[in-house]
Amino acid sequence: MDIHAELKQAICKVNPGIDETKITPEATFVGDLEMDSLSMVELSLAMEDSFGVTLPDEELAKLTTVGEVAELIQSKMGA
Amino acid sequence: MASRVVVTGYGAVSPLGVTADTTWQNLISSQNGIDTIKCFDASTFPVKVAGEVKNFDPVDYMDPKTARYTDRFAQFAISASRQAIEHSGLVIDDSNRYDIGILIGTGIGGTHSMEEQVSVLNSRGPMRVSPFIVPMMIADNATGRVSIETGIRGFNLSLVSACSTGTDALGIAYKMVKHGELKAALAGGTDAAITPLGVAGFSQAGALTKNPDPCTASRPFDSRRDGFVIGEGSGVLVLENLESALERGAPIFAEIVGYGATSDAFHITQPLASGESAVRAIQMALKDIGFEEVGYINAHGTSTKLNDASETRAIKNSFGSRAYDIPVSSIKSMLGHMLGAAGALEAIVCCKVIEDGIIPPTINLLNPDPECDLDYVPNQAREKRVDTVISNSFGFGGHNSVLALRRYL
Repeated sequence: MDIHAELKQAICKVNPGIDETKITPEATFVGDLEMDSLSMVELSLAMEDSFGVTLPDEELAKLTTVGEVAELIQSKMGA
Repeated sequence: MASRVVVTGYGAVSPLGVTADTTWQNLISSQNGIDTIKCFDASTFPVKVAGEVKNFDPVDYMDPKTARYTDRFAQFAISASRQAIEHSGLVIDDSNRYDIGILIGTGIGGTHSMEEQVSVLNSRGPMRVSPFIVPMMIADNATGRVSIETGIRGFNLSLVSACSTGTDALGIAYKMVKHGELKAALAGGTDAAITPLGVAGFSQAGALTKNPDPCTASRPFDSRRDGFVIGEGSGVLVLENLESALERGAPIFAEIVGYGATSDAFHITQPLASGESAVRAIQMALKDIGFEEVGYINAHGTSTKLNDASETRAIKNSFGSRAYDIPVSSIKSMLGHMLGAAGALEAIVCCKVIEDGIIPPTINLLNPDPECDLDYVPNQAREKRVDTVISNSFGFGGHNSVLALRRYL
Protein backbone atom coordinates (compact mmCIF):
# COMPACT_ATOMS: atom_id res chain seq x y z
CA MET A 1 0.00 0.00 0.00
CA ASP A 2 1.23 3.46 -0.87
CA ILE A 3 0.66 5.19 2.47
CA HIS A 4 1.42 8.67 1.12
CA ALA A 5 -1.06 8.35 -1.71
CA GLU A 6 -3.78 6.96 0.57
CA LEU A 7 -3.15 9.64 3.16
CA LYS A 8 -3.33 12.34 0.51
CA GLN A 9 -6.66 10.94 -0.61
CA ALA A 10 -7.99 10.99 2.95
CA ILE A 11 -6.84 14.60 3.38
CA CYS A 12 -8.59 15.56 0.13
CA LYS A 13 -11.78 13.82 1.23
CA VAL A 14 -11.83 15.77 4.48
CA ASN A 15 -10.90 19.06 2.77
CA PRO A 16 -12.86 19.27 -0.48
CA GLY A 17 -11.45 21.89 -2.81
CA ILE A 18 -7.95 21.80 -1.30
CA ASP A 19 -4.96 22.49 -3.58
CA GLU A 20 -3.50 18.98 -3.75
CA THR A 21 0.00 20.22 -4.50
CA LYS A 22 0.11 21.61 -0.97
CA ILE A 23 -0.10 18.11 0.50
CA THR A 24 3.59 17.33 0.86
CA PRO A 25 5.29 15.38 3.68
CA GLU A 26 6.53 18.67 5.13
CA ALA A 27 3.13 20.36 5.07
CA THR A 28 1.66 21.22 8.47
CA PHE A 29 -2.01 20.47 9.04
CA VAL A 30 -2.90 23.63 10.90
CA GLY A 31 -0.65 26.10 9.05
CA ASP A 32 -0.25 24.88 5.48
CA LEU A 33 -3.45 22.90 5.06
CA GLU A 34 -5.62 25.25 7.16
CA MET A 35 -7.18 22.42 9.15
CA ASP A 36 -8.83 23.00 12.53
CA SER A 37 -9.27 20.57 15.42
CA LEU A 38 -12.59 19.32 14.04
CA SER A 39 -11.08 18.56 10.66
CA MET A 40 -8.27 16.67 12.38
CA VAL A 41 -10.77 14.37 14.11
CA GLU A 42 -12.58 13.93 10.80
CA LEU A 43 -9.24 13.04 9.21
CA SER A 44 -8.49 10.44 11.86
CA LEU A 45 -11.87 8.82 11.08
CA ALA A 46 -11.07 8.83 7.37
CA MET A 47 -7.66 7.31 8.06
CA GLU A 48 -9.25 4.52 10.10
CA ASP A 49 -11.33 3.70 7.03
CA SER A 50 -8.34 3.82 4.69
CA PHE A 51 -5.75 2.01 6.80
CA GLY A 52 -7.78 -0.02 9.27
CA VAL A 53 -5.77 1.34 12.18
CA THR A 54 -6.99 3.48 15.06
CA LEU A 55 -5.02 6.64 15.70
CA PRO A 56 -5.75 7.90 19.22
CA ASP A 57 -6.37 11.65 19.51
CA GLU A 58 -3.51 12.01 22.04
CA GLU A 59 -0.99 10.53 19.62
CA LEU A 60 -2.30 12.47 16.66
CA ALA A 61 -2.26 15.73 18.60
CA LYS A 62 1.52 15.51 18.97
CA LEU A 63 2.08 15.40 15.22
CA THR A 64 2.12 18.49 13.06
CA THR A 65 3.09 17.40 9.54
CA VAL A 66 1.72 15.03 6.93
CA GLY A 67 5.00 13.09 6.94
CA GLU A 68 4.83 12.50 10.70
CA VAL A 69 1.34 11.10 10.43
CA ALA A 70 2.43 8.85 7.56
CA GLU A 71 5.19 7.50 9.80
CA LEU A 72 2.72 6.86 12.63
CA ILE A 73 0.46 4.93 10.25
CA GLN A 74 3.45 2.99 8.98
CA SER A 75 4.43 1.99 12.52
CA LYS A 76 0.86 1.03 13.43
CA MET A 77 0.49 -1.08 10.33
CA GLY A 78 3.84 -2.71 10.80
CA ALA A 79 3.06 -3.56 14.42
CA MET B 1 -37.60 57.65 18.74
CA ALA B 2 -38.87 54.88 16.52
CA SER B 3 -37.51 54.57 12.98
CA ARG B 4 -39.41 53.49 9.92
CA VAL B 5 -38.26 50.09 8.69
CA VAL B 6 -37.99 49.21 5.01
CA VAL B 7 -37.15 46.15 2.96
CA THR B 8 -34.14 46.87 0.77
CA GLY B 9 -33.40 43.42 -0.58
CA TYR B 10 -34.34 39.78 -0.53
CA GLY B 11 -33.15 36.38 -1.66
CA ALA B 12 -34.73 32.96 -1.79
CA VAL B 13 -34.24 29.29 -2.49
CA SER B 14 -37.46 27.38 -3.05
CA PRO B 15 -39.01 24.38 -4.79
CA LEU B 16 -39.80 26.80 -7.65
CA GLY B 17 -36.31 28.15 -8.15
CA VAL B 18 -33.02 29.00 -6.53
CA THR B 19 -33.63 32.76 -6.70
CA ALA B 20 -36.44 35.02 -5.51
CA ASP B 21 -37.18 36.17 -9.06
CA THR B 22 -37.51 32.71 -10.59
CA THR B 23 -39.69 31.66 -7.69
CA TRP B 24 -41.93 34.69 -8.17
CA GLN B 25 -42.23 34.24 -11.93
CA ASN B 26 -43.21 30.61 -11.43
CA LEU B 27 -45.70 31.47 -8.72
CA ILE B 28 -47.57 33.98 -10.84
CA SER B 29 -47.61 31.47 -13.71
CA SER B 30 -49.37 28.89 -11.45
CA GLN B 31 -46.40 26.52 -11.69
CA ASN B 32 -46.28 23.59 -9.32
CA GLY B 33 -43.01 22.92 -7.47
CA ILE B 34 -44.26 19.72 -5.86
CA ASP B 35 -43.13 16.34 -7.15
CA THR B 36 -42.54 12.75 -6.11
CA ILE B 37 -39.93 12.49 -3.34
CA LYS B 38 -36.49 12.05 -4.93
CA CYS B 39 -34.00 12.88 -2.17
CA PHE B 40 -34.50 9.56 -0.39
CA ASP B 41 -36.26 6.29 -1.14
CA ALA B 42 -39.81 6.82 0.07
CA SER B 43 -41.21 3.60 -1.38
CA THR B 44 -42.21 2.26 2.05
CA PHE B 45 -43.62 5.62 3.18
CA PRO B 46 -47.32 6.46 3.05
CA VAL B 47 -46.35 9.97 1.91
CA LYS B 48 -45.08 10.16 -1.67
CA VAL B 49 -44.67 13.83 -2.56
CA ALA B 50 -42.71 16.87 -1.40
CA GLY B 51 -41.67 20.32 -2.53
CA GLU B 52 -37.96 19.68 -2.98
CA VAL B 53 -35.46 22.34 -4.01
CA LYS B 54 -34.06 21.32 -7.38
CA ASN B 55 -30.75 22.19 -9.04
CA PHE B 56 -29.23 23.70 -5.92
CA ASP B 57 -25.46 23.40 -5.90
CA PRO B 58 -24.05 24.75 -2.62
CA VAL B 59 -20.67 25.30 -4.23
CA ASP B 60 -22.23 28.14 -6.23
CA TYR B 61 -22.45 30.09 -2.95
CA MET B 62 -19.63 28.81 -0.70
CA ASP B 63 -16.32 27.01 -0.92
CA PRO B 64 -16.42 23.19 -1.17
CA LYS B 65 -15.13 22.63 2.36
CA THR B 66 -17.77 24.91 3.87
CA ALA B 67 -20.40 23.14 1.78
CA ARG B 68 -19.29 19.73 3.03
CA TYR B 69 -19.55 20.69 6.69
CA THR B 70 -22.76 22.70 6.44
CA ASP B 71 -26.17 21.08 6.63
CA ARG B 72 -28.56 21.68 3.75
CA PHE B 73 -30.77 23.99 5.86
CA ALA B 74 -27.82 26.31 6.51
CA GLN B 75 -26.60 26.09 2.89
CA PHE B 76 -29.98 27.43 1.80
CA ALA B 77 -29.67 30.31 4.27
CA ILE B 78 -26.19 31.23 3.01
CA SER B 79 -27.47 31.32 -0.56
CA ALA B 80 -30.57 33.37 0.29
CA SER B 81 -28.50 35.77 2.42
CA ARG B 82 -25.93 36.36 -0.32
CA GLN B 83 -28.72 37.05 -2.81
CA ALA B 84 -30.43 39.43 -0.38
CA ILE B 85 -27.26 41.41 0.29
CA GLU B 86 -26.50 41.66 -3.40
CA HIS B 87 -30.07 42.72 -4.14
CA SER B 88 -29.90 45.47 -1.50
CA GLY B 89 -26.47 46.69 -2.54
CA LEU B 90 -25.52 46.70 1.14
CA VAL B 91 -21.75 46.82 1.58
CA ILE B 92 -20.54 45.29 4.82
CA ASP B 93 -17.31 46.77 6.10
CA ASP B 94 -15.68 48.08 9.26
CA SER B 95 -17.98 51.08 9.29
CA ASN B 96 -21.14 49.02 9.80
CA ARG B 97 -20.47 45.35 10.55
CA TYR B 98 -21.48 45.66 14.23
CA ASP B 99 -24.66 47.60 13.36
CA ILE B 100 -26.16 44.80 11.27
CA GLY B 101 -27.86 41.79 12.82
CA ILE B 102 -28.71 38.33 11.59
CA LEU B 103 -32.00 36.73 12.64
CA ILE B 104 -32.61 33.63 10.58
CA GLY B 105 -34.74 30.99 12.23
CA THR B 106 -35.36 27.37 11.46
CA GLY B 107 -38.22 25.12 12.42
CA ILE B 108 -36.24 21.90 12.48
CA GLY B 109 -32.49 22.55 12.09
CA GLY B 110 -29.92 20.14 10.67
CA THR B 111 -31.93 16.96 10.58
CA HIS B 112 -30.16 15.65 7.44
CA SER B 113 -26.87 15.58 9.34
CA MET B 114 -28.39 14.34 12.55
CA GLU B 115 -30.14 11.39 10.93
CA GLU B 116 -26.99 10.43 9.08
CA GLN B 117 -24.90 10.51 12.25
CA VAL B 118 -27.49 8.67 14.36
CA SER B 119 -27.14 5.90 11.82
CA VAL B 120 -23.33 6.01 12.19
CA LEU B 121 -23.69 5.97 15.97
CA ASN B 122 -25.97 2.94 15.90
CA SER B 123 -24.00 0.97 13.33
CA ARG B 124 -20.39 1.88 14.17
CA GLY B 125 -20.41 3.31 17.70
CA PRO B 126 -19.66 6.65 19.38
CA MET B 127 -16.02 6.88 18.29
CA ARG B 128 -17.13 7.09 14.64
CA VAL B 129 -19.49 10.04 15.04
CA SER B 130 -18.39 13.11 13.08
CA PRO B 131 -16.91 15.94 15.16
CA PHE B 132 -18.90 18.30 12.93
CA ILE B 133 -22.30 16.91 13.90
CA VAL B 134 -23.09 19.40 16.64
CA PRO B 135 -22.34 22.54 14.63
CA MET B 136 -24.05 21.00 11.61
CA MET B 137 -27.31 20.14 13.32
CA ILE B 138 -27.86 22.98 15.78
CA ALA B 139 -30.36 25.60 14.78
CA ASP B 140 -27.97 28.54 15.01
CA ASN B 141 -25.57 27.11 12.45
CA ALA B 142 -27.41 29.01 9.73
CA THR B 143 -26.89 32.39 11.41
CA GLY B 144 -23.36 31.46 12.49
CA ARG B 145 -22.38 30.47 8.97
CA VAL B 146 -24.02 33.54 7.46
CA SER B 147 -22.01 35.71 9.85
CA ILE B 148 -18.76 33.99 8.83
CA GLU B 149 -19.60 34.22 5.13
CA THR B 150 -20.69 37.88 5.19
CA GLY B 151 -18.54 39.44 7.90
CA ILE B 152 -21.60 40.71 9.78
CA ARG B 153 -20.78 40.95 13.49
CA GLY B 154 -23.90 42.42 15.12
CA PHE B 155 -26.69 40.70 17.03
CA ASN B 156 -27.02 37.09 15.91
CA LEU B 157 -29.97 34.87 16.74
CA SER B 158 -31.69 31.81 15.41
CA LEU B 159 -35.19 31.55 16.75
CA VAL B 160 -37.65 28.69 16.55
CA SER B 161 -41.43 28.91 16.45
CA ALA B 162 -42.18 25.97 14.18
CA CYS B 163 -43.98 27.10 11.03
CA SER B 164 -44.22 30.69 12.29
CA THR B 165 -40.43 30.97 12.48
CA GLY B 166 -39.83 33.04 9.34
CA THR B 167 -42.50 35.58 10.23
CA ASP B 168 -41.32 35.84 13.84
CA ALA B 169 -37.70 36.34 12.80
CA LEU B 170 -38.82 39.19 10.57
CA GLY B 171 -41.05 40.57 13.29
CA ILE B 172 -38.31 40.63 15.91
CA ALA B 173 -35.81 42.08 13.41
CA TYR B 174 -38.38 44.75 12.51
CA LYS B 175 -38.74 45.70 16.17
CA MET B 176 -34.98 45.82 16.72
CA VAL B 177 -34.43 48.08 13.72
CA LYS B 178 -37.47 50.18 14.58
CA HIS B 179 -36.20 50.83 18.10
CA GLY B 180 -32.66 51.59 17.04
CA GLU B 181 -30.94 48.41 18.27
CA LEU B 182 -29.76 47.70 14.73
CA LYS B 183 -29.36 49.76 11.57
CA ALA B 184 -30.11 46.75 9.42
CA ALA B 185 -30.84 43.07 9.73
CA LEU B 186 -30.71 40.01 7.58
CA ALA B 187 -33.84 38.22 8.64
CA GLY B 188 -35.87 35.23 7.57
CA GLY B 189 -36.04 31.48 7.85
CA THR B 190 -34.64 28.29 6.46
CA ASP B 191 -35.49 24.60 6.59
CA ALA B 192 -34.54 21.35 4.92
CA ALA B 193 -36.45 18.54 6.59
CA ILE B 194 -37.44 16.36 3.66
CA THR B 195 -35.70 13.42 5.30
CA PRO B 196 -36.90 9.98 6.35
CA LEU B 197 -37.44 11.11 9.96
CA GLY B 198 -38.95 14.46 8.99
CA VAL B 199 -41.44 12.93 6.57
CA ALA B 200 -42.27 9.96 8.82
CA GLY B 201 -42.73 12.23 11.83
CA PHE B 202 -45.02 14.78 10.20
CA SER B 203 -46.87 11.93 8.53
CA GLN B 204 -47.46 10.04 11.79
CA ALA B 205 -48.76 13.25 13.33
CA GLY B 206 -51.40 13.24 10.61
CA ALA B 207 -50.18 16.54 9.20
CA LEU B 208 -49.13 15.42 5.69
CA THR B 209 -51.32 14.46 2.79
CA LYS B 210 -50.98 10.88 1.56
CA ASN B 211 -52.27 11.90 -1.85
CA PRO B 212 -49.58 10.54 -4.24
CA ASP B 213 -50.49 12.90 -7.09
CA PRO B 214 -48.09 15.87 -7.08
CA CYS B 215 -50.56 17.89 -9.15
CA THR B 216 -53.34 17.87 -6.57
CA ALA B 217 -51.58 17.03 -3.29
CA SER B 218 -51.48 20.59 -1.94
CA ARG B 219 -54.94 22.15 -2.25
CA PRO B 220 -55.46 24.81 0.40
CA PHE B 221 -59.09 25.76 1.07
CA ASP B 222 -60.39 23.00 -1.25
CA SER B 223 -62.97 20.69 0.35
CA ARG B 224 -60.82 17.66 -0.54
CA ARG B 225 -57.66 18.92 1.18
CA ASP B 226 -56.27 16.33 3.57
CA GLY B 227 -52.90 17.53 4.82
CA PHE B 228 -49.91 19.64 3.84
CA VAL B 229 -47.03 18.80 1.53
CA ILE B 230 -43.62 19.21 3.12
CA GLY B 231 -41.37 21.68 1.33
CA GLU B 232 -37.91 23.13 1.94
CA GLY B 233 -35.89 26.24 1.18
CA SER B 234 -35.05 29.63 2.58
CA GLY B 235 -36.09 33.25 2.41
CA VAL B 236 -33.97 36.12 3.72
CA LEU B 237 -34.77 39.83 3.63
CA VAL B 238 -32.67 42.89 4.35
CA LEU B 239 -34.59 45.14 6.74
CA GLU B 240 -33.11 48.56 7.19
CA ASN B 241 -33.93 51.73 9.00
CA LEU B 242 -35.30 54.23 6.52
CA GLU B 243 -32.71 56.88 7.21
CA SER B 244 -29.75 54.56 6.50
CA ALA B 245 -31.46 53.19 3.43
CA LEU B 246 -32.05 56.69 2.02
CA GLU B 247 -28.57 57.81 2.94
CA ARG B 248 -26.94 55.09 0.88
CA GLY B 249 -29.50 55.29 -1.95
CA ALA B 250 -30.76 51.76 -1.39
CA PRO B 251 -33.66 50.34 -3.37
CA ILE B 252 -36.81 50.22 -1.22
CA PHE B 253 -39.29 47.48 -2.00
CA ALA B 254 -41.77 47.88 0.86
CA GLU B 255 -42.11 49.18 4.38
CA ILE B 256 -42.83 46.96 7.35
CA VAL B 257 -45.61 48.58 9.33
CA GLY B 258 -46.67 46.06 11.90
CA TYR B 259 -46.12 42.74 13.58
CA GLY B 260 -48.31 40.78 15.92
CA ALA B 261 -47.75 37.46 17.63
CA THR B 262 -49.78 35.46 20.11
CA SER B 263 -50.10 31.87 21.25
CA ASP B 264 -53.07 29.55 21.60
CA ALA B 265 -52.51 27.94 25.02
CA PHE B 266 -54.39 24.99 23.59
CA HIS B 267 -52.62 22.09 21.86
CA ILE B 268 -49.15 21.01 20.68
CA THR B 269 -50.20 20.56 17.05
CA GLN B 270 -53.81 21.69 16.53
CA PRO B 271 -54.76 25.33 16.07
CA LEU B 272 -57.46 26.85 18.24
CA ALA B 273 -60.57 26.21 16.15
CA SER B 274 -62.13 29.59 16.84
CA GLY B 275 -59.04 31.37 15.58
CA GLU B 276 -59.34 33.74 18.55
CA SER B 277 -55.58 34.10 19.18
CA ALA B 278 -54.94 34.48 15.46
CA VAL B 279 -57.41 37.37 15.41
CA ARG B 280 -55.45 39.02 18.21
CA ALA B 281 -52.23 38.65 16.23
CA ILE B 282 -53.86 40.27 13.20
CA GLN B 283 -55.14 43.11 15.37
CA MET B 284 -51.67 43.67 16.83
CA ALA B 285 -50.08 43.73 13.38
CA LEU B 286 -52.59 46.34 12.19
CA LYS B 287 -52.79 48.49 15.30
CA ASP B 288 -50.89 51.39 13.76
CA ILE B 289 -52.41 51.35 10.29
CA GLY B 290 -55.92 49.99 10.70
CA PHE B 291 -57.88 47.30 8.89
CA GLU B 292 -59.33 49.39 6.07
CA GLU B 293 -56.23 49.58 3.93
CA VAL B 294 -55.47 45.85 3.71
CA GLY B 295 -55.74 44.81 0.06
CA TYR B 296 -54.24 41.31 0.15
CA ILE B 297 -53.73 38.56 2.69
CA ASN B 298 -50.99 36.03 2.14
CA ALA B 299 -52.51 33.10 3.97
CA HIS B 300 -50.76 30.46 5.99
CA GLY B 301 -53.08 28.15 4.01
CA THR B 302 -51.36 24.84 4.66
CA SER B 303 -54.00 22.58 3.05
CA THR B 304 -54.83 20.85 6.34
CA LYS B 305 -58.48 20.53 7.31
CA LEU B 306 -57.97 22.40 10.56
CA ASN B 307 -55.68 25.26 9.53
CA ASP B 308 -57.58 26.44 6.51
CA ALA B 309 -60.92 26.47 8.33
CA SER B 310 -59.63 28.20 11.46
CA GLU B 311 -57.59 30.71 9.44
CA THR B 312 -60.66 31.55 7.36
CA ARG B 313 -62.63 32.06 10.58
CA ALA B 314 -59.88 34.30 11.96
CA ILE B 315 -59.86 36.44 8.81
CA LYS B 316 -63.65 36.80 8.92
CA ASN B 317 -63.61 37.65 12.61
CA SER B 318 -60.91 40.25 12.02
CA PHE B 319 -62.28 41.97 8.94
CA GLY B 320 -66.03 41.36 9.25
CA SER B 321 -68.00 41.53 6.01
CA ARG B 322 -65.03 43.18 4.27
CA ALA B 323 -63.21 39.83 4.51
CA TYR B 324 -65.09 38.78 1.36
CA ASP B 325 -63.60 41.67 -0.63
CA ILE B 326 -59.96 40.97 0.22
CA PRO B 327 -58.03 38.53 -1.98
CA VAL B 328 -56.45 35.80 0.13
CA SER B 329 -54.05 33.29 -1.40
CA SER B 330 -51.83 30.41 -0.36
CA ILE B 331 -48.61 29.90 -2.28
CA LYS B 332 -48.20 26.62 -0.38
CA SER B 333 -50.47 25.24 -3.11
CA MET B 334 -47.41 25.49 -5.39
CA LEU B 335 -44.43 25.21 -3.03
CA GLY B 336 -45.64 22.93 -0.30
CA HIS B 337 -44.93 24.06 3.22
CA MET B 338 -41.37 25.32 3.66
CA LEU B 339 -41.81 25.16 7.47
CA GLY B 340 -39.58 27.75 9.15
CA ALA B 341 -38.80 29.35 5.80
CA ALA B 342 -42.44 29.70 4.76
CA GLY B 343 -43.18 33.03 6.44
CA ALA B 344 -39.98 34.58 5.09
CA LEU B 345 -40.64 33.56 1.51
CA GLU B 346 -44.23 34.75 1.92
CA ALA B 347 -42.97 38.15 3.08
CA ILE B 348 -40.85 38.34 -0.09
CA VAL B 349 -43.94 37.48 -2.11
CA CYS B 350 -45.82 40.27 -0.31
CA CYS B 351 -43.11 42.70 -1.45
CA LYS B 352 -43.50 41.42 -5.01
CA VAL B 353 -47.29 41.81 -4.86
CA ILE B 354 -46.80 45.46 -3.90
CA GLU B 355 -44.04 46.00 -6.50
CA ASP B 356 -45.64 44.24 -9.47
CA GLY B 357 -49.37 44.59 -8.79
CA ILE B 358 -49.96 40.87 -9.27
CA ILE B 359 -51.49 38.50 -6.74
CA PRO B 360 -50.27 34.90 -6.91
CA PRO B 361 -53.03 32.30 -7.01
CA THR B 362 -54.09 29.39 -4.82
CA ILE B 363 -53.84 26.53 -7.29
CA ASN B 364 -55.77 23.23 -7.11
CA LEU B 365 -58.80 25.00 -5.72
CA LEU B 366 -61.55 23.15 -7.56
CA ASN B 367 -64.05 21.95 -4.96
CA PRO B 368 -65.31 24.75 -2.75
CA ASP B 369 -65.60 24.10 0.97
CA PRO B 370 -68.57 25.83 2.63
CA GLU B 371 -66.32 26.53 5.62
CA CYS B 372 -63.79 28.28 3.39
CA ASP B 373 -65.75 30.84 1.41
CA LEU B 374 -63.38 33.78 0.89
CA ASP B 375 -61.81 35.00 -2.34
CA TYR B 376 -58.76 32.73 -2.51
CA VAL B 377 -57.66 33.87 -5.98
CA PRO B 378 -58.27 30.39 -7.41
CA ASN B 379 -55.88 28.92 -9.95
CA GLN B 380 -54.91 32.08 -11.86
CA ALA B 381 -52.84 35.06 -10.76
CA ARG B 382 -54.70 38.35 -10.72
CA GLU B 383 -53.58 41.84 -11.60
CA LYS B 384 -54.43 44.29 -8.87
CA ARG B 385 -52.64 47.23 -7.37
CA VAL B 386 -52.23 46.59 -3.68
CA ASP B 387 -50.68 48.99 -1.17
CA THR B 388 -51.04 47.16 2.12
CA VAL B 389 -50.78 43.45 2.81
CA ILE B 390 -50.56 41.08 5.72
CA SER B 391 -48.87 37.70 5.87
CA ASN B 392 -50.14 35.08 8.32
CA SER B 393 -48.09 32.27 9.80
CA PHE B 394 -49.13 29.71 12.38
CA GLY B 395 -47.12 26.94 13.94
CA PHE B 396 -47.20 23.73 15.96
CA GLY B 397 -47.26 24.73 19.59
CA GLY B 398 -49.93 27.33 18.92
CA HIS B 399 -47.96 30.20 17.40
CA ASN B 400 -49.86 32.93 15.55
CA SER B 401 -47.70 35.50 13.80
CA VAL B 402 -48.67 38.24 11.43
CA LEU B 403 -46.56 40.75 9.55
CA ALA B 404 -47.98 43.86 7.87
CA LEU B 405 -46.22 45.46 4.88
CA ARG B 406 -47.07 48.58 2.93
CA ARG B 407 -45.95 50.34 -0.21
CA TYR B 408 -43.20 52.79 0.70
CA LEU B 409 -44.38 56.31 0.01
